[in-house]
Amino acid sequence: MITFKSVTKKYTADSMGLNGIDLHIESGEFVSIVGQSGTGKTTMIKLLIAEEKVTSGIIEIGGWDITRLSDSDIPLLRRQIGVIFQDFKLLPKKTVAENVSFALEVAGEKRLRIKQVVPRVLDIVGLSHKVDRYPHQLSGGEQQRVAMARSLVHRPKILLADEPTGNLDSINTQEIIDILKKINEFGTTILLVTHNREVVNQLKRRVVTLHDGKIISDEDKGKYRL
Amino acid sequence: MLSGFFRIIKFSFQEIVRNMSLSIMTVLILILMLLSINTLMVVKVLTDESIIAVKDQIDVSIYFNPEATPDEIQEIRGFVSAFPEVEKETFLTSDEVFNNFKKNYADNQDVLSSLDELGQNPLGPTLIIKTRDPKDYEKIIKNLSLPEYENIIEAKTFADTQTAIDKIHSITTNVQKFTYFLTILFAIIAFIIIFNTIRVAIYTQRAEIGIKRLVGATSWFIRGPYLIESFIFSIISVVITYFLVDFLLKFLDPYISVVFNKNDLLSNYLSQNWLMVVGIEFGVVFLLTIVSSGLAMRKYLRT
Repeated sequence: MITFKSVTKKYTADSMGLNGIDLHIESGEFVSIVGQSGTGKTTMIKLLIAEEKVTSGIIEIGGWDITRLSDSDIPLLRRQIGVIFQDFKLLPKKTVAENVSFALEVAGEKRLRIKQVVPRVLDIVGLSHKVDRYPHQLSGGEQQRVAMARSLVHRPKILLADEPTGNLDSINTQEIIDILKKINEFGTTILLVTHNREVVNQLKRRVVTLHDGKIISDEDKGKYRL
Repeated sequence: MLSGFFRIIKFSFQEIVRNMSLSIMTVLILILMLLSINTLMVVKVLTDESIIAVKDQIDVSIYFNPEATPDEIQEIRGFVSAFPEVEKETFLTSDEVFNNFKKNYADNQDVLSSLDELGQNPLGPTLIIKTRDPKDYEKIIKNLSLPEYENIIEAKTFADTQTAIDKIHSITTNVQKFTYFLTILFAIIAFIIIFNTIRVAIYTQRAEIGIKRLVGATSWFIRGPYLIESFIFSIISVVITYFLVDFLLKFLDPYISVVFNKNDLLSNYLSQNWLMVVGIEFGVVFLLTIVSSGLAMRKYLRT
């Protein structure tokens, strides 16, 4: 599903994001990427959504080489992947429903279908009663659930979660992880970048540990070992 | 494709309403900028009117010798009227010249008693020539300086008015140059103001632009609402400015009419040229706003 082949990303001559990474993730896997700050975890996410370009190597998603994408193909790639971030990245002047709809509107989805799908997805994340609220009227956990709804609404095969619980308390963290597990059960591949030891240990799924831009361990049912 | 276009329109209206304070600020700055451009228009109209008024004061008089025969005078009148540069020629008979002279010096008893002592009209007929442009007087006078006309024409006033004509010519040229300079200066200021206004507006929304990109929006899907917003802001600001200027000109016109002896000079100019004024202003503002937003947004649209 996702393959990194000798991927290196250098920001400057003395700042290495990733250093010759080789990684293969199967469809339907739930993989946690762990490591200290500055080890290249977020760089992996940025490369997967073509926000950054590799210095060398190849990244393939479903056999599609995304390292040589033209500018016009980048939006197409992003519509295939769901992404959630630590800071939620919601559109502040749009309501909950509009934020979720936006992901479908950019893809040219029909209005009728948007009207059907959006309430369903908001129901899954437990926000069907707050569709007309603006992000600033929601708690952190609720904002993250809106972000999840937005990332899921177009039924992506891959969901990238970059520190999704970084700004949340333990209760909200658990809620988000439960939703991620549920999404994974439906067959979506999940790549979770996190610092949260408890989350990783509780998941008991594959754990890839990065250090200085290199993979130092890759365990099928791993634990947080830093 | 069409639904995408309608969505862009919907988003642009949403942005305008939900960023109301920013929208109002942008429109206000555009209005202020347009008002300054309209001030330039008023200056130009007043300058042109002043130039016309001054030029209108100038003419050249040909004083015929009192002994000149009607045939000789007629020949010169025919000669003068053949010039395409001549706009108007007025012929005054000896008697008319004499009466005008007496009228002009009605308060000067010495001059009048001198005339009485002469016992006859010493003044010959006069031809007053008006050309379309003051610079053409020289040509007419030069052509009249033929040896065969020397005994017919007693004097020409051109020598006296030459300096005035040269001065007016120099003033009008300089005023025009100054107006061009002001126009360029205002255009530069307008561009800087609009560019910075739009840049600030885009800057405040840079995070949103980034989010839209991450969700998979194409550049045009992001740019579109800003283009429509620019269009709407341009229309609103031009329309408001038009009515404001119309009101201000109606207020100014009574004061202007005292100077130029013309009623509703500025209002008439605006009503006669409203399509051009509105069209140019809209074109300039819209072009500047879309160029500015395009430039300002470029760096936030990079992947």
